[in-house]
Amino acid sequence: MRPGGRRYRTVIAVLAALLLASVLIAIAAGSVQISPGTTVRLVAWKLGLAERPDVPVSTEVILFQLRLPRVVLAVVVGLALAIAGTLFQGLFRNPLADPAIVGVSSGAALGAIAVIIAGGGGLLGGLGVSLAAFVGGMVTAFFVYRIARVGPAVNVATLLLAGIAVAAVISAVMSVVMSFAGEEIRSIYFWLLGGLSARGWTAVEVVGPLILLGTAGAVLLIRDLNLVSLGEERAAQLGVDVDRFKWQAVALGALLAGAAVSVSGVIGFVGLMTPHVMRLIVGSDHRRLLPAVLLAGPTFLVLADLVSRVAIAPQELPLGAVTALVGGPFFLFLLRRERRRASARA
Amino acid sequence: MPEPVLSLQDITCGYGASTVLHGVSLQVARGEVVGLVGPNGSGKTTLVRVASRALRPAGGTVRVGGLDTYALPAREAARLVAVVPQDLAPAFSFSVLEMVLMGRTPYLSSFGRGGDEDWARTRAAMVATGVQHLADRSVDELSGGERRRVVLAQALAQDAPLLLLDEPTTHLDVRHVLDVLAIVRRLAEREGAAVLAIHHDLNVAAATCDRLVALHRGEVAATGSPEEVVTADLLRGIYGVEADVTTDVSTGRPSVRLAVPSEPVAPLGRRAHVVGGAGRGARIIRMLAEAGYDVSVGVLHASDTDANAAERLNLLRVSVPPFSHVDAEAEDAVRPLMREADLLVVCDAPFGPGNVANLRLALEAAEAGVTTLLLEQVPIGERDFTGGEATALWSQLRRRARSVGTYEEVALEFR
Repeated sequence: MRPGGRRYRTVIAVLAALLLASVLIAIAAGSVQISPGTTVRLVAWKLGLAERPDVPVSTEVILFQLRLPRVVLAVVVGLALAIAGTLFQGLFRNPLADPAIVGVSSGAALGAIAVIIAGGGGLLGGLGVSLAAFVGGMVTAFFVYRIARVGPAVNVATLLLAGIAVAAVISAVMSVVMSFAGEEIRSIYFWLLGGLSARGWTAVEVVGPLILLGTAGAVLLIRDLNLVSLGEERAAQLGVDVDRFKWQAVALGALLAGAAVSVSGVIGFVGLMTPHVMRLIVGSDHRRLLPAVLLAGPTFLVLADLVSRVAIAPQELPLGAVTALVGGPFFLFLLRRERRRASARA
Repeated sequence: MPEPVLSLQDITCGYGASTVLHGVSLQVARGEVVGLVGPNGSGKTTLVRVASRALRPAGGTVRVGGLDTYALPAREAARLVAVVPQDLAPAFSFSVLEMVLMGRTPYLSSFGRGGDEDWARTRAAMVATGVQHLADRSVDELSGGERRRVVLAQALAQDAPLLLLDEPTTHLDVRHVLDVLAIVRRLAEREGAAVLAIHHDLNVAAATCDRLVALHRGEVAATGSPEEVVTADLLRGIYGVEADVTTDVSTGRPSVRLAVPSEPVAPLGRRAHVVGGAGRGARIIRMLAEAGYDVSVGVLHASDTDANAAERLNLLRVSVPPFSHVDAEAEDAVRPLMREADLLVVCDAPFGPGNVANLRLALEAAEAGVTTLLLEQVPIGERDFTGGEATALWSQLRRRARSVGTYEEVALEFR
């Protein structure tokens, strides 16, 4: 399937349509229903393209202050996690790598929990927790990277093991820290299980630019990702500066995952599953894979967030639990099918 | 004489503490196909990795087209040197066309889809290697021979003046061997590429290379035309084999017919005895067994690391229960083993009252004329737990035996 091949174009068109549809459905669903038509007309009005449609002000407020920011946040967080997963799977040449792998998620969680327990939950209008999470995630990733680095070279196997070990230590520290928690324990649990509730536009404004920047950086790495999949030595023989590539991939992946985790808490499976499933559909060439992931990651998270919001409304399910509940079995099904196919080929 | 495309001067290189290449120099000129031959472990692959910019040498210079590739960015170096690795198994599956196009990486920008020149070069490389009909097939569906030709096409697409091949023909059937080598030969003749190829098969090397370089233990053992390099003397010297070398009537090149090996490295029936303990003897025991010696070990304490090593190799061993002293019975059992050994190796094990008898017995054997080696990586002072008796015996032994400091020296002794 060529980058411009017809089947590929169809796949991308379907993915784009799915994203649009899931966004409209997510906006529509809730205690007050907003039809896709109303949404489109209201957005057009906001953009100065049309007259204000005849709808109650409350609908306008719900759309722009509640539903839209939440859906947009789901889009950018889904984007960040899926792209970070693609970067790490490419870097480690392992389809089971995910954004948590260099310790970003656990470092971010520790940062957030520390601030919540210290009573800083309301700091900077709630952004204090996000900031602490982001810093925690980046510091951890940098630390893990330094452990694995000898001179200019980084051994990816060491990086993987260091990431796992550091994450294990951090979760032990988290357990200790959490034993000091009182009534904050509920918000800690909510954070650990991930969620996008009541973040408003601020969260989008803060992490949106970071995530777009990280995504643009990932696009620049597409060619090197392809070459490194042939092995590091081969990539170097074909002209890739492998050490620089590894540094860039880890930095971008950590930036994306850190930004996502800082506003949404720990959400698993999106970064692992999206690139994996897209690879089954469009192949392994990152020139085709990345655009597909870019559309599928947001779709997955928007739908998962929708489920978390409406399944037991007015209560919310933790988003991380939804992604795992939906994603896990599906992922297992795929693995099983792949294995069958592989054995049929052999 | 025009400047060579590849010039390796006085290359010294190794991994960690062990040195693999000791001052190797080698040149490959434009249009020349040079074969690199030598036994396993002689440094062939290391030398090619040095030339391919994958392994910076500890000493010496690497020049390709007059430039130091290690000082160039990866991208520019890849325009000078193309490598054909032994095999390539991508973690993800690419189409054949994509794989070959990757050879154009050093000429493309990050976003480049490739210009006319890139597509033309890619097509030419695929035609030359006969893989154009596979263009849209996935590489993981290909046979080994097809995949090898795809990798060759990838390297050809790099359009570099130097082509390095690491055993381009292993695991290929005879048809594909000839195909690959014909492609390489054409490349040298028509495009003027300089080619350096590692070959395991001396007949293939002699038939397809202009010049051969034979490596042995990290040094150039011989260099010159195939007739000059492939000789019975050289084969005996570096491979340790007896062979008939005749001239092939159709090619005029030397042709090797191997005699069935007449004897293992150590002549059959050679016996060695090792005095070890606390794991100091395990490696020696294994080395001797691999070299074909009939090895015996003792006296050891049962369950000692060395005793376990000997047990795993099913060697003859004399042992006493843990923490007990070597008794008269054990002494009587081990004495003939030491006396009748062709080689006695005394390792730098710790000696205490329990096992110091070993040193006494070894001294007797050495005095009786048994060739004896003393491994001395750890000074006797640090492992004498007898209050001086072991040190005294050791220095007496030293007068009768040869002291060695490294395993390599031990190996030389019995090769």
